[in-house]
Amino acid sequence: MNARVIPPFQPRTPRSAHTLSARRHATPPKAVPKMRYAVATLVGIFAILGGQLLLSISVSSGAYTIAGLKSDVRTSEQSLQIVAEDIGALTAPDTLASLAGSMGMVEDNNPAYLRISDGTVLGEAAPADTASETPVYTVTAGTEDRVPPRIVDDVYALLTAQVTPEISAEEALLAAVVPVAQNTTSAVVSSAMVKTATPVAVGTFGGSIPSPSTR
Amino acid sequence: MTHQRMSGRRIACALVMVFITATLLFTRLVDVQVVRASELQEQSAAIRTTDETVWASRGSIIDSFGNDLALDVDRYDLSADPSRAGDFRRDGETISLELAMAEIATLTGADADELIYAVASNTTTRFTYLIQGVSPEIRLALRELRIPWLQMDLVRERTYPFGPVVGNLTGMLGTDEPLAGIERGYNECLAAQNGVATYQRGADGVRLPGTTQVASNPVHGGDVVLTLDSDLQWYVLQQLAEHGSRLGAQYGSAMVVRVADGHILAAADWPTFDPNDFAQTPTGNTGARVFSSPYEPGSIMKSIGVAMLIDGGYTYAEDRIVAPGFFEVYSGTYIKNFAVADDRQLTTAGVLYTSSNTGMSVLSSRMPKSTATNYFRKFGFGSSTAVDFLGESPGQLIPADKVDVVTRYNQFFGQGISVTAAQMAGAYQTLANDGVRVPLRLVEGCLSNDGIFAENPVEAPIQVVSASASHQVIRALETIVSQGPLKNTLGIPGYRVAAKTGTAEIADSSGYGDERVISLAGMAPAEDPEYVVLVSFYKPQTSRVSTAAAPAFHDVMSHVLKHYRVAPSSEPAALPPLTW
Repeated sequence: MNARVIPPFQPRTPRSAHTLSARRHATPPKAVPKMRYAVATLVGIFAILGGQLLLSISVSSGAYTIAGLKSDVRTSEQSLQIVAEDIGALTAPDTLASLAGSMGMVEDNNPAYLRISDGTVLGEAAPADTASETPVYTVTAGTEDRVPPRIVDDVYALLTAQVTPEISAEEALLAAVVPVAQNTTSAVVSSAMVKTATPVAVGTFGGSIPSPSTR
Repeated sequence: MTHQRMSGRRIACALVMVFITATLLFTRLVDVQVVRASELQEQSAAIRTTDETVWASRGSIIDSFGNDLALDVDRYDLSADPSRAGDFRRDGETISLELAMAEIATLTGADADELIYAVASNTTTRFTYLIQGVSPEIRLALRELRIPWLQMDLVRERTYPFGPVVGNLTGMLGTDEPLAGIERGYNECLAAQNGVATYQRGADGVRLPGTTQVASNPVHGGDVVLTLDSDLQWYVLQQLAEHGSRLGAQYGSAMVVRVADGHILAAADWPTFDPNDFAQTPTGNTGARVFSSPYEPGSIMKSIGVAMLIDGGYTYAEDRIVAPGFFEVYSGTYIKNFAVADDRQLTTAGVLYTSSNTGMSVLSSRMPKSTATNYFRKFGFGSSTAVDFLGESPGQLIPADKVDVVTRYNQFFGQGISVTAAQMAGAYQTLANDGVRVPLRLVEGCLSNDGIFAENPVEAPIQVVSASASHQVIRALETIVSQGPLKNTLGIPGYRVAAKTGTAEIADSSGYGDERVISLAGMAPAEDPEYVVLVSFYKPQTSRVSTAAAPAFHDVMSHVLKHYRVAPSSEPAALPPLTW
């Protein structure tokens, strides 16, 4: 189609007579290659358009990835904040004091020290009075007490659950023997194993609070 | 022919029509694309574009151990569009408004009926708050409920993890501005500037990626770093609460100061308030009385008076005087002692030990009153401490030329001069530090968000009295703890403690009345003092003598020694004679 339309236009283009005559004679055999060029051009154009489309799709999907990652960062920051708030609530001195009190710890206001160089006891060493358990006082007036954060209640519940039932030495030993006997071939339990068994019980702080053994 | 002419006219007609239409369209095109282009683009952008606050964090207030005392946290405001709030489908089930509200209530602890009412009573609006300030943890759980009409917007909220423990110092943040304490005094360091960002969204309200533009960047606030030890502050506050309520006192204050650098480790007021929830607090309790409430300190001032007299060369610890039963100021006006009406042969140390008003008057008569006023000023009375706490009182020190003949003597035992607890703690720090007053310090400085630490200027120490004068006073104060009637209450086994009691009368409209301020100030270990403790109770009811403050002082001091691992005293005390 195109090949037939082109010749009338040719005179308008300034060309030498030689080329013109050569063209006129060569027209029928050259029609086929021109078709191929046109197709190639069109394919090229579509390829470029398609490529551009793909590129822009990938760019915008990259934008989605960035948005997704940003929101991940935000979520992580918030998780950090949630945990930091929990830690803050647990390390608040009144929480620590009431938790320590719930475990039966009492305060001794007359400290005594052992000087290692000569073994001298400095101060007057006397056992703390277990009856002197001091409550945690309310220090505000006119305001209601704040509801303690949930994490404090959780830890308190765990601690009281462990402290309240007095576990006898035999029971602790028994509790330690059973898992050891089941998991290993040896059923021999040394006293050291009983010792290691006790922290396991304390470790059920939801498994999330590290034990302070390194300090 | 006719046909041809007709069709020719038709063609002409059609061409004219086409031309007119084309002209109209072209005009419209030019109008839209060129003439009104910018206006229309703005309108369309306004429809698609939404502003968004980019939250900046207000700085934290941090104690000397890095604990956050005040910080910004993420919270969410829950709201709903009442016109859309209704039944929705979830996992093939229809969830009613009531059920959804009950679910929200279970997670947040709110009242479901109130939530339903909030929606039901606001049908004309398209926005109503349900719950404000929900934690991110609960928000995650709420998101799992997939309630389409529930909106959760991020806000920043101020929290005070230590609550009332340090509320007197941190102050609090109101809805628009900081209201008190460090929050207000150091607002310049803490304040943050929220940023603004714009983004475009599609018809479905989804944010178009890559369209977010930050119009102004958020500027985060800096952190204020304090010298405070919050754990100690908690303990001190507990002691104030325990002994203050036992005494039926109106309020109590206590301070712990490190001698070497004047750092305030604890400055507690009881009763205090919770900055997280201060709406119901009586206004008197929302400040820091240690800095803002001056009072006539009473006999704890005698230690300062004796140090002044020794430094001025008017006496020395073993100096022998006769403390009369009554000291006549002028005819008919007498200064008398708390219980003793006989003349007693005391040393200057003995005057402090027995807290003799007449003995003190005999000694102070040797010093010109202008000299005394200068000494008081050098000890820091009459002007605010270096802390310069918001609303701090300078107390009242009468100028030397206005000091009358009775006040001249009274000042030496702490009447006719009013001081704050902070000033008095600073004066005892001077005695404890070989007579060198290191200006008190509460705020270390401001740590800006880009990591630059701007340290608060450190004021130069002042030699107020000689080291010898301060040592002689401390030896005399040791006798009170080791030999006095309070030795069983005040003594801490293994440690040498120096302390002075004080019972001051409170002046009202008709002169000095029955009400008292009882206080105890002291230091330990006495051979080389490291910590100064001051405890005072205002208007105690069950007991009005200074000895009633002794248990609180003992408990705080003994805790301080234990808390900071101070080694027990090893040198025996060489104490001065008290009588002759």
